[in-house]
Amino acid sequence: MGESISLSPALENYLEAILNLSEKNGTVHITDLAEYMQVAKASVSQAINTLVSLHMIKHEKYGPIEFTLLGKREAEKIREKHCILKRFLVEILQVNPHVAEKDACLMEHVVSEGTLEKLITFLQSQLQEPLHRERGIEKMSKAQVQSLNELRPGTKGKVIRVAAQGFIRRRILDMGLVPGTEVSVEGVAPLGDPMEIKVRGYMLTLRKSEASHVFVEVTEYARS
Amino acid sequence: MKILEAKETVIALAGNPNSGKSSLFNALTGSRQHVGNWPGVTVEKKEGRFSYRGLTFRVVDLPGTYSLGAHTEDEIIARDFLFSHPDIVVNVVDSTNLERNLYLTLQLLEMGASLVLVLNMSDEAKAKHIEIDQGRLSTLLGTPVVMTVAPRKEGIPELLERIVTLRGREPRETFRIKYREDIEEEIAKIEALLTLYPELTHRYPSRWLAIKLLEGEKRILQEMNRQSFMKHVFPQVEESKKRLIDRYGEDLETIFANQRYHFITRLVQECMRRKGEEKGTYTLSDRIDRVVTHRFFGIPLFLFTMWLVFQCTFALSEPLVGWIETLFTFLQEKATFILENLGVADFFISFLVDGVINGVGSVLVFVPPIFLLFLAISLLEDSGYIARAAYVMDRLMHILGLHGKSFIPLLLGFGCNVPGIMATRTLENREDRMITMLVNPFISCAARLPVYVLFTGVFFARHQGWIIFSLYLLGIVVAILTAKWFKRYLFKGETSHFVMELPPYRIPTVKGLFIHMWERGSSFIKKAGTIIIAMVVLIWILANLPFGVEYASNESIIGKLGTAMAPLLAPAGFGTWQTAVSLIFGIVAKEVVVGTLAVVYGVGEEGVGEMVRQHFTPLSAYAFMVMTLLYIPCVATIGAIRRESNSWGITIFALGYSLIVGWTMAVLIFQVGQLLGFH
Ligand SMILES: Nc1nc2c(ncn2[C@@H]2O[C@H](COP(=O)(O)OP(=O)(O)OP(=O)(O)O)[C@@H](O)[C@H]2O)c(=O)[nH]1
Ligand SMILES: [Mg+2]
Repeated sequence: MGESISLSPALENYLEAILNLSEKNGTVHITDLAEYMQVAKASVSQAINTLVSLHMIKHEKYGPIEFTLLGKREAEKIREKHCILKRFLVEILQVNPHVAEKDACLMEHVVSEGTLEKLITFLQSQLQEPLHRERGIEKMSKAQVQSLNELRPGTKGKVIRVAAQGFIRRRILDMGLVPGTEVSVEGVAPLGDPMEIKVRGYMLTLRKSEASHVFVEVTEYARS
Repeated sequence: MKILEAKETVIALAGNPNSGKSSLFNALTGSRQHVGNWPGVTVEKKEGRFSYRGLTFRVVDLPGTYSLGAHTEDEIIARDFLFSHPDIVVNVVDSTNLERNLYLTLQLLEMGASLVLVLNMSDEAKAKHIEIDQGRLSTLLGTPVVMTVAPRKEGIPELLERIVTLRGREPRETFRIKYREDIEEEIAKIEALLTLYPELTHRYPSRWLAIKLLEGEKRILQEMNRQSFMKHVFPQVEESKKRLIDRYGEDLETIFANQRYHFITRLVQECMRRKGEEKGTYTLSDRIDRVVTHRFFGIPLFLFTMWLVFQCTFALSEPLVGWIETLFTFLQEKATFILENLGVADFFISFLVDGVINGVGSVLVFVPPIFLLFLAISLLEDSGYIARAAYVMDRLMHILGLHGKSFIPLLLGFGCNVPGIMATRTLENREDRMITMLVNPFISCAARLPVYVLFTGVFFARHQGWIIFSLYLLGIVVAILTAKWFKRYLFKGETSHFVMELPPYRIPTVKGLFIHMWERGSSFIKKAGTIIIAMVVLIWILANLPFGVEYASNESIIGKLGTAMAPLLAPAGFGTWQTAVSLIFGIVAKEVVVGTLAVVYGVGEEGVGEMVRQHFTPLSAYAFMVMTLLYIPCVATIGAIRRESNSWGITIFALGYSLIVGWTMAVLIFQVGQLLGFH
């Protein structure tokens, strides 16, 4: 663990809250955030510091809170998940919206990341109607972002983010897997683990645990 | 310093793994470097000299690197050498894979190296309809470009000319990639500070240094941390970093890698054309891979290949071994006859016939299987199959506490544990490397084969192949259990990584194959020639001292030594002083075990079988083979472990551990076997 920058549930909530507030008010201050989330200002400051150190947001003392590109993308992703779960509960299961809001939150943080990712993908295909109420979501659901390890052989896409850390990150970048690079999944080893991808005209193999740090915008799905 | 060496120009051969550096090295120097088709064959830098037009050149063949931000041992070797300012860097590039290969080229150019870009494998590029505009590339990069086919020495004369022209010339202006405006701004700010310290900019170009500081290159940071004045620079670096991270939402490593690759993409678009073939089509190599790494066929194919390797090794060598045996028996008889007629003293005849000729014979008998084994391993290496094997096996190896790449050192271990241990350098993670190294001696090397051949020939003639196979398998099982255990308790570090290129398949050249076979085989003979014969002679002498004792009796020095040890071996079923003696000498080199037995039983090579039949039972013979397989590795292997682990502690641990494992297994097999009614 520790390698991926997977955020804690609390931090995810903060990011989502900042996103919602910034869309409502334009700027976000610690005071607004504390009020919106109904927590003490001290704990908000602490969370903000952590998010700054993760390069998710920018924040000068007493100044407004601003997203970095990375943070914004992350926040949108979190909210998208949240919305889809909520819609599923409300639209299909006919749950009361208030309850749905709370339950969606709980579901997000209890279910393992991989399962959630798959659940979201599945639900997305079920909830055909685009969402109009919340901005930004439409765009995200069109561009299918998945981690490389989840793609089946035959899938093609474009790298959008390498989230690995330290030495493995360096190696992945050195091998040419930088944002913007086209990749296609060629196969999986017989025992199911390292996977083979084609990148920049050559064959690269990597373990799925490593591929899980590479996020790809899918452009062509595997036929079958 | 520089003036003294002025006559010699140092050329560094740098490039991605498997791009053909060693082949080019051979083409330049005529020396036979080991060439193989899997990334990471050269694990140490190798040097050679040649002269051209009255000038002397020293060529250094470096291990392959993908970039200068090194993280494996061999990449560190390459990077450190490149940072030490060789006169000329010859950057060998795989023409069929320009995009990735040029990444290192850019880094070398940014560093300000006097560079010749070699577009190697141009034959393969042609076959793939890849056309490279050499002139354009040369202009855009501001560096000479030469096309070569290294194994056929094509393009070498031109390369030599370029090297001569470049020699001694100061690089004009350093090449620069134009990064995005805001990045350039930050680079300029840091550069401005750096130029205040000429002692620094004499050593490294300031722009390059600024970029490395931003990237956070470890070696450079370390070096800079030692300079007190850097405290005036670091705050600016931090500030610039922060600004760029905020702007791009990515860290600096990504930003720079990204920009370089974008540069390359544009460069390649301008200089390279793929004709005929469409982008999505698959090459023959890809199609082979569909089978070799197939979900159902992959593993059976792998196992079948391994089985084939060993069957061929033994089946093909059998008749040769027979001939050599006959020849030496004949030689011994003739020599005795002639020497007796000449009136030479009995003692001396015995020395020559039983010591020297016998010693040479016991070496040569094992040459055929060993050469064939090396031939097979070379075939796997040169064709490119071995990288697939690592890919196919990684999951399993990972479960076993190892790495797909550990597979390669272990496979080499079947030939000889020494190259096997050397090859562990390609592993990126220290834990992986140590574990692979420590379990390597349990992989049954070719030198242990003589013992198996002898004993199985006597006791298990009908199932010889299977019994030998079982020993190899046992070695593997012990290695695996050891690896798991070590991983669990000794090296509890983070798990390793597996990011590896699959090189395209290549048809191995017959010449290449035989060169490898010969290099490895002959180094085995060299070891055999010196150590084994010396040992056989030494044993003969020890067996005849003190003067007057009956030859190789238990009165002799050697006999007394063995007698003292015998009781310890009794629980394993072979508690005689003769076996004890042979095991002692086996530590020097496993291949002398049989020779020693011949001498201590007082017979020639051909008589050992009979003596073994008298002194062993099938069960104790099996226990003895197990002991030979597992107990203390030979001195050369011990040396290799010491060198590669860089620790006496680990080396001594390896010795003690293997001795305990070997003895325990031998005893276990003998005792349990007896309980089960075997004898
Ligand atoms: N067709 C063709 N094959 C080549 C050429 N140059 C090298 N090879 C083959 O490519 C493989 C790798 O060559 P090496 O010389 O071992 O490569 P290297 O760069 O030293 O590799 P490492 O030491 O692992 O970094 C061998 O099988 C060579 O026979 C070439 O110009 N054309
Ligand atoms: Mg090499």
